[in-house]
Amino acid sequence: MVATVLRLKYTTVRHQLAREWWRALLLIGGAVWSLSLVPAVLWASVQLSDESADVRADILLVVAAICIAGWITVPLLVTGLEDTLDPGRFATFGVSARQIAGGLTLAAFLTVPALFFAGAFVVLTLSWRDSGWGVLAVALVGAGLTVAVMVLGARVAVAWSARAVNDRRTRGVLLLAVGLALVVLGSVVWIALRDGIDSALQYEAQTLMEWLGRTPVGAGMVAAESATYGRWWSVAWRLALMAGAVVVLALAWRDSISHALVNPVHRGGGRRRRADAILASARDLPWGAASGPSRRSRLARLWRTDEPTRAVRARMLVSWGTDARYLVAASGVVALPVIFFAIAMPVLGLDTRWAFVAPVMLAASIGWGRHNDVAYDHTALWLDIVSGSRGGQVMAGRAQAVLVWAVPATVLAAVGILAWTGRWYAAPGLVGATLGTLGATLGVASVTSVLLPYRAPAPGENPFGAEVGSLGASLGAQLLSSLATMLVLPFVTVPLVLALTVHAGWGWVALVSGLALGAAFGVGGVRLAGLLYDQRAGSLIARVS
Amino acid sequence: MTQLGEGRTQAMSLRALTKRFGATLAVDRIDLDIPTHSFYGVVGPNGAGKTTTLSMATGLLKPDSGQALIHGVDMWREPARAKAMVGVLPDGLHSFDRLTGGELISYAGLMRGLPKDTVRERRDDLLAALDLDSAGSTLVTDYSAGMTKKIGLACALVHAPRVLVLDEPFEAVDPVSAGAIRRILQEFVASGGTVVMSSHVMALVERLCDHVAVVGHGHVLAAGTLDEVRAGEDLEARFVGLVGDIADQRDLAWLRQS
Repeated sequence: MVATVLRLKYTTVRHQLAREWWRALLLIGGAVWSLSLVPAVLWASVQLSDESADVRADILLVVAAICIAGWITVPLLVTGLEDTLDPGRFATFGVSARQIAGGLTLAAFLTVPALFFAGAFVVLTLSWRDSGWGVLAVALVGAGLTVAVMVLGARVAVAWSARAVNDRRTRGVLLLAVGLALVVLGSVVWIALRDGIDSALQYEAQTLMEWLGRTPVGAGMVAAESATYGRWWSVAWRLALMAGAVVVLALAWRDSISHALVNPVHRGGGRRRRADAILASARDLPWGAASGPSRRSRLARLWRTDEPTRAVRARMLVSWGTDARYLVAASGVVALPVIFFAIAMPVLGLDTRWAFVAPVMLAASIGWGRHNDVAYDHTALWLDIVSGSRGGQVMAGRAQAVLVWAVPATVLAAVGILAWTGRWYAAPGLVGATLGTLGATLGVASVTSVLLPYRAPAPGENPFGAEVGSLGASLGAQLLSSLATMLVLPFVTVPLVLALTVHAGWGWVALVSGLALGAAFGVGGVRLAGLLYDQRAGSLIARVS
Repeated sequence: MTQLGEGRTQAMSLRALTKRFGATLAVDRIDLDIPTHSFYGVVGPNGAGKTTTLSMATGLLKPDSGQALIHGVDMWREPARAKAMVGVLPDGLHSFDRLTGGELISYAGLMRGLPKDTVRERRDDLLAALDLDSAGSTLVTDYSAGMTKKIGLACALVHAPRVLVLDEPFEAVDPVSAGAIRRILQEFVASGGTVVMSSHVMALVERLCDHVAVVGHGHVLAAGTLDEVRAGEDLEARFVGLVGDIADQRDLAWLRQS
């Protein structure tokens, strides 16, 4: 069965490569890039062997901790990387989890990143070779178990998150837990770095590492150090702890597989809703009946509050509130600003003015994140398309639904940062730059979501998954939309920089230019996207499904 | 030109409609005239190009060449005008599944530019007529295949179109609901509307349709009134005669239970 599953995996990959040759380039590129890191790893290994045993163990422990954290969080934050065989697809073959778990696990280990990390850790642990064969053996076993924790941990994290996000009851708990974890992490980092980075490295970091060495995160790395000092009991329990962790993760992974085999995710949980949220969004008077189109106020025209726009907006708000894929997207946007604010800033020892970047980053993450917005509705796009030439209204409704939650969220973040820095004089500049960024990036994303759509997970599918066959297209679209975002960002952010560095008076310029340019880019982008949508209506469905 | 004159009597005219997917020619210069006030059946084997043709006629898939006219209006030149006259039920495409059945109908109505009160009234009428009353507050994602078909049909009907294009409307629908749908469609045609329906069930086509077209390998093999196409045989025999039977009728002896 292991061989059958592996063969299936590689047949799928081979057919994909045959259909889309550039995928092979991507794969080869990844492999070459990994190989190009080999000299660096070898060099690090040589350098490590010159260090004393405890320093060497400390460094390896930190490397292992960072790698494990990366393996677990990256597939959750950067959606669309994960394209392992979905266990749910085996549901109709009448196989048990026990039969396919081995094959799926082996397939997870036989990927370019997993093989690279395994190789890298083996090379790094070779730095123990001068301490004798016994120590080297312990180090190699510890490294192998650490890599196993990484790969299996990533599998379990994705499986559990997908399960939790798709379940209405656990979804709230999950979001709360993620929020709390971020807050705790942020405060811990800030408290630790309160007295500067040197004192933190001297005291807090030592304690932290000692504790990590007693967990499955670092025990495998510290075991070799214990071996050099002949503390074999310590070696034994640390390696046993690692082995235990691997077994527990493997069992959890198998449990997730058997859950996926009998619980198709395409259900809504039997929820009922009496009120008609779509109809409620419409106005009582038909549009244009009360006053001619020429008499509508400028703002109302800008908002384009006709019935189709309102209907699209109401539908998108339902998606933002209930669809796992949108919830994941909405919670993912905080990652970059939080990492910057809570980790990058204190570690690099940046001036507090840099904190103003965080809300702008949040706005840009939200806007850029919508660059594949249209594709998320690929199963239902037909209803919008057969209704007439509704591109303008569809794109406006989509953007408005984002603004409904994004404007309060970004303004709140800006106010929070202002309160934290105490530099209230910068308020107009920061608010202007933040809202300007939101509008501009949303406008760019609207255009790219029509021009460069790529396949997105269907409703009810694993929100962290990439539709098989989309990885290359998604990279291209992501690259181009990032580039376009980078090009428009200076327009709305430069006055804020001037306000913080040259003269506070620039803040008011930033407010006016941010609001004006943000609105201009946003409205212009959405309008252009609407025109393109109508033009390409006949090929959109084929592109995304 | 004669096109305008034709447009008045033809609910839908396809002119040399062509679509190629890579190496396969899915639809090869199809010409088809569907008279107003007719119940038109489109039949054909799997992969014959039925869905592709209907998608091109309803604005869902851009043809490589050719025209699709709805009451004389070109679907790809004046989509807003043409689409307003058509109600569509595609096959195999889902709908916004986070909405309830009632919300989905409201959404379709508002997207068609109907005022709020009209939408509310028609939504309730359609839910009752298609026996979806109790399902009106359930999410579409929890619907069975047949219920999804029915809610899709309701969305196609809500703006009272002049032409209905339905891809497999009776697939997976239970006999009671099928009866209700049949009555609705027959009344629609009797009042002057036009229904274009694809199906694999010959008995159903013979029972409902007054016109029929047999499509195979991207071509129209036969088209006209039901009696013209049948030419004295029953439709199924004629169909097999036109598209050809399976060449290798192998005996699956190992499947026998005793």
